[in-house]
Amino acid sequence: MVNLEELKKDAKRILQDKKVKYVIGYRRGVDGYEAIPAFFKAPEECDDLVWDPTCIHNLVRFLRDEKVRKDREKEPDKRPVAIIAKGCDTRAINVLLQEQYISREDVFILGISCEETGVIDGKKLRKKIQGKKIKQIDFNGKDGFSVITEEGKTEVAAKDVMAQRCIECISNYPIDHDIFFGEKKKREPENPFDSLDSLQSMPNEKRWAFWKEHLEKCIRCYACRSVCPMCYCDECVVDTISFAVFADTPAEEKANKIKWLEKSPVSSENFVYHLVRAMHLAGRCIDCGECERVCPVDIPLRHLNKFLEKKAKELFDYQAGFDPEAPALISSFKEEDPEDFIR
Amino acid sequence: MEKILQKKSLPKWIEKCASYHIYAPVKKDALWHYNIIDKPADVQLDHPNTVISPKKLIFPLREVFFEYQTDDEDKIEIKEKTPKDAPSVVFGIRPCDARALTLTDKVFQGDFADPYYLKRREMTTLVGLTCNTPPGHNCFCLSVDGSPNSKEGFDILMTDMDDRYHVQFLNKKGQKLMEKAKDLFKTPTEKDRKAAENIWKEAEKKIERQIKNIKTIPQKLKGMFESPLWDQESLHCIRCGICTYLCPTCHCFDINDEVLSSSPSKGKRVRTWDTCQFPDFTMHSSGHNPRGDSASRLRQRIMHKFQYFVTKYKNYQCTGCGRCITKCPVGIDIIDVLEKVRDYGS
Amino acid sequence: MKKEFEPKIIAFLCKWCSSAGSDLAGVSRMEYPSNVVPITVMCSGSMSPLYIFSAFNKGADGVLVSGCHPGDCHYIKGNYYARRRIALVKELLQFIGLEPERFKMSWVSAAEGIKYKEVISEFVEEIKPLGPQTKLRREL
Repeated sequence: MVNLEELKKDAKRILQDKKVKYVIGYRRGVDGYEAIPAFFKAPEECDDLVWDPTCIHNLVRFLRDEKVRKDREKEPDKRPVAIIAKGCDTRAINVLLQEQYISREDVFILGISCEETGVIDGKKLRKKIQGKKIKQIDFNGKDGFSVITEEGKTEVAAKDVMAQRCIECISNYPIDHDIFFGEKKKREPENPFDSLDSLQSMPNEKRWAFWKEHLEKCIRCYACRSVCPMCYCDECVVDTISFAVFADTPAEEKANKIKWLEKSPVSSENFVYHLVRAMHLAGRCIDCGECERVCPVDIPLRHLNKFLEKKAKELFDYQAGFDPEAPALISSFKEEDPEDFIR
Repeated sequence: MEKILQKKSLPKWIEKCASYHIYAPVKKDALWHYNIIDKPADVQLDHPNTVISPKKLIFPLREVFFEYQTDDEDKIEIKEKTPKDAPSVVFGIRPCDARALTLTDKVFQGDFADPYYLKRREMTTLVGLTCNTPPGHNCFCLSVDGSPNSKEGFDILMTDMDDRYHVQFLNKKGQKLMEKAKDLFKTPTEKDRKAAENIWKEAEKKIERQIKNIKTIPQKLKGMFESPLWDQESLHCIRCGICTYLCPTCHCFDINDEVLSSSPSKGKRVRTWDTCQFPDFTMHSSGHNPRGDSASRLRQRIMHKFQYFVTKYKNYQCTGCGRCITKCPVGIDIIDVLEKVRDYGS
Repeated sequence: MKKEFEPKIIAFLCKWCSSAGSDLAGVSRMEYPSNVVPITVMCSGSMSPLYIFSAFNKGADGVLVSGCHPGDCHYIKGNYYARRRIALVKELLQFIGLEPERFKMSWVSAAEGIKYKEVISEFVEEIKPLGPQTKLRREL
């Protein structure tokens, strides 16, 4: 079991010793039982730190903002930023290290193990609890969660409300850390690609109908892109504007910026956006599931990235985020890479 | 005009309105959306609020302004695409969403009368449903001059009374619909009226979240442009755009030419939704962005809704639907931010 | 008489091998279907997946990527990268339900005019019965 008091104590200590600039962690949301990302700058603020099954957010996303802030300063504070990272989150950090977006000295990892249960899927939980108002939810130290509603306390088995990505998780505790909380108890998924089975066994046309129906709903709010720790491009290929314009950029160049897709949220353009994003995340996505969680119209986005994750493993024996020294999937190759699809 | 409609007669009324396109909230998987209805029996009025507000039916996510084409002599032909005559009825709108339309009306009918928005607005009859219980936990309509029973923006307003609806026909547009099926509507009895009034009274008590002393906020905001509060509150904002896209009062848009071919030159001028949270908001052509960070974006959103709009249109640009609070990926709560603004410095 | 459907194929050909191979086919007066719009890229490894998605988005009925044989790349390693990336693109397109016959990759060297002719002829024959590509085509 993760000792929350230990976590608070260590967070306070590293702030007091001025070892880190601030701590990125979780606090209770303004109204309700769910945790939200929070920044802790003063040691006493750490009393508000929480660690419970609602801590689903991938805090590595905020390392993007930290880097942008640092790049703008003339004399940046070189101390690291502390971050509470679950197993999947540490793999995200590894991908950023792999790509030299940040260096290891920029982060102080407070690694937390998800132990037996992973974190919850809010939608599954609300369905299970059926409208009762939830006051609090905690890990129960075994294979479930203790849920306190207005009617009292109930125990819920983890497998009923765990996030799907936790069910398929291959890294349930941090693979890198400066301080470790909890136990290194490996949880092997029965089938790490379970969610893909039904899709892959569908005939082509049915699968097409599935994706058409879902991607048609997309309103192009770009929440999926905004929440992803790996989508750190200053200028995204789908934004038809140029950031990289200088005093001497000729007018013709500015006028001829290529527009790969239209802004309109119609099916054909939505497909281009999501397919390109999936390709840009190939070998980089570590399945934190945030893209799917934040989608306001419930598109099963994880499946697109999970599919490429499966293919990366099957075809190239590649898994993202385990080795910060490893080359990227698509800028490396092996002599034995399959080519039976090539005429 | 007030009438009573038996619940079982609702599909019959809708059948009689066959000359209109009928829209109503429809549940797909776990979410509700306004969709066009083929069968009158499919209209179910027991929904929480939809994800995307009915604003999308008047101010669509994508709208073609005109099509252009050049001929052999490079003469340009323009075909305007104002909305075709297609009278519609939208059922099941919550008072917050209808009030929101009266606010977007001010913008689209203001300095320039937007013919596309206005045509759709005129063609659409809005049928509301009072909120006997708040459709969401984060509703706060009462704090922003709204109410679960508000008539603002509606042509017809219905109240669910178990086996029947109390129906108010608020103007000529609404009355036209009643005349389609006059015999289905009965005059309310004294008991009916008392029951409706009781429901309305109880509904207001059930709104859980409130912002006290919101009236002080517009003036307070005037002095808070440089306040460090915005940095504090926006640290965990990821600038996704969900709050603005789901907001029934937000109305920013972008206009683009979608070029279909270069030779002959052919294309469409299209309007799409846009948001102050996207990377290109306030982006200069030099590449510099004076309001590119989360703090100035949050400040922009709060000030636009609770100071600039108040100054210009004498209304908060917020009707308390709570969607932004429920769907924010990182739990930024507009009520909390407003309370912090209100209490700042005291 | 009904006009037979002629698929439009966009072929991304690497300059040093496949594009030269297609030139050889032309110069040798080989006859093969004229459904192809060839686009020369410097190297198959320079192919961004965006080009492929964009081609389908603009209405291509088929897309071909062709490069040098492994070991013969003018830039030494470009085609090895392409082999990986295009494999992933092919899998992804099939996963979303696009007919797998519509997207192909081939190795065609500068001396293989005949192979180029065969690749194109086979491609056209395979996708003719599928009809126009409507799934990813832009509908604006």
